[in-house]
Amino acid sequence: MKYASLKKTNLNNWLEYLKKKAKFYAPRKKENLFVFRPVKDVADICLEYIPTILPPKKYYFPQKERLLRFRAQPFKTAKAIDKFEEFILFGVHTCDIAGIQCMDVVFRDGPEDPNYLNRKDMMTIIGIECLKYCDKYANCASMGNHIPRGGYDLMMVDIGDEFIIHINSEKGEKLVKEVDFIKEATESEMVTLGRIREEKNEIFKEEFYASLPKVYESFDKSFVSEVWKDLGKKCVGCGNCTAVCPTCYCFDVSDEMELNLNDGLRYRIWNSCQMDDFAKVAGGEDFRKGRESRQRHRYYRKFKYPVDKFNRYFCTGCGRCTRTCMAGISLIDTVNALTPVSID
Amino acid sequence: MKKQSKPRLAFFDFTDCEGCQLQFANLGGTLLELLELVDIVNFREIISEAAEDYDIAFIEGSITTDNDVLRIKKIRDKAKVLVALGSCATIGGVNGIKNRSSLELAKKIVYGDKASTINTIKTMPVHEVVSVDYTINGCPVYLPEVVSVVKCLLMGKPYVVPNYPVCSECKMNENVCRYEKDQECMGTVTRAGCNSWCINNGNRCYGCRGLVDNPAADAQKDILSKYGLKLEDVLKHFTLYNDSMGEKYDQEFK
Repeated sequence: MKYASLKKTNLNNWLEYLKKKAKFYAPRKKENLFVFRPVKDVADICLEYIPTILPPKKYYFPQKERLLRFRAQPFKTAKAIDKFEEFILFGVHTCDIAGIQCMDVVFRDGPEDPNYLNRKDMMTIIGIECLKYCDKYANCASMGNHIPRGGYDLMMVDIGDEFIIHINSEKGEKLVKEVDFIKEATESEMVTLGRIREEKNEIFKEEFYASLPKVYESFDKSFVSEVWKDLGKKCVGCGNCTAVCPTCYCFDVSDEMELNLNDGLRYRIWNSCQMDDFAKVAGGEDFRKGRESRQRHRYYRKFKYPVDKFNRYFCTGCGRCTRTCMAGISLIDTVNALTPVSID
Repeated sequence: MKKQSKPRLAFFDFTDCEGCQLQFANLGGTLLELLELVDIVNFREIISEAAEDYDIAFIEGSITTDNDVLRIKKIRDKAKVLVALGSCATIGGVNGIKNRSSLELAKKIVYGDKASTINTIKTMPVHEVVSVDYTINGCPVYLPEVVSVVKCLLMGKPYVVPNYPVCSECKMNENVCRYEKDQECMGTVTRAGCNSWCINNGNRCYGCRGLVDNPAADAQKDILSKYGLKLEDVLKHFTLYNDSMGEKYDQEFK
């Protein structure tokens, strides 16, 4: 079975079933925004949501993660976590799934990151396809992430009274096959899916003025540009843009001792290139002085460097960095400002 | 290791509300664990003894009189290690508001016709008078940070106060941004280390931990005025805790 069909009236039954299978995280409301949270009551789940404050990366790359347990005397070290828990991420947008694919590329690149991979092994991703824009900040169509492009176990599409579920892994297939109310999708349902996808083409239009290859080219020529100066003036250096980015993966490592001053834990904690001291080295030299060059670096880490290194854009188009910036720095505006000056 | 005599801790307060010492006293079970490692020999909120023989001095409060200056110098001479505890001691804190007007005017406003009998000098954080080895920011201090600093102190390691803004911790806690709710918040320019304690609990950031080394003053002013605050009000937000930060502060903000 490749495509399955779930009647909306059976959605809650399926959610109850999934909830029992593993630790279950889904989007829920938090004040006027949304967050991924563990679900107690399936009624709390919001499937119509704008991207959550933090992307689901917090579950496979936690903000503060234990790495190593150690003892000073007699000296001894041990893994901090012996057993990782199975978990399901439910209702993930395609932009965030693209984020997971980017992280995969980074953490699988040698030397592989065991902590990330251990968590990732335990993860089941059930996505939901967006049929309309979340808000004006998203640039998913330019990045090609408004449509599913793999990286999930199951992908749901709302076709009216049913969800069509694309089965993309064995793990996913089990979760569909084990319940009797999910059937194989009928031909007419598949026709509806095709029609909905066509309609979607009319709604989602590339948000950048230039095509992605042109954007890449413009980055090649824009290392010195007024655009960065302008950003540097606006930027307050809070680091929100990198914290909320589904593909930012920088971290710092620190040791914390217990009060007996003999046992301790080694942690890794999210870090950000927007921090003042991020590129400072011993002796006080700072390789990226000023908010202007730090903002520029962030953009190059999305549209230039990873393309050269991994042949992949590290912007997913989720729009979080723009949405969260109180200084009003817009990714779409910034990229658009770069393209006309550099390309004839 | 246990046979060695334990380091002796003493607590002293200057111009403050003694709230940071109270926080320390509130360590609860952790305080008892800590007593395995140290002796507290002078701490008027929890013991009646007041020994004058100590190794580590915790200083709460800002320096605001000539007598304060003499007293803190004496303590510095005796203590092997000196810790500034809380906003008043580390950045001058709310007491710094006094520095906004001339001393004469400030005295007159507060003490009226008795002003001439009062000795007062400009408000200074402790480090402006004597050298400080460890800094614990906050109004009041954040207990997990207090514990971290004490551990560093006992291991003889430096404690590095974060030089990034509260926002970065706040975002990791996945709070809804105060600006999202049309509230002004100083988290963008205020030194982190408190794990965005106030915002986690529904409040906003008042800047009690002092400003980061290189605050984006202009950008922050833009943001605050974008949210409908006048320059005057903006300055009030900046100066609530940070008025006695000296020349650097003046250059950035006035």
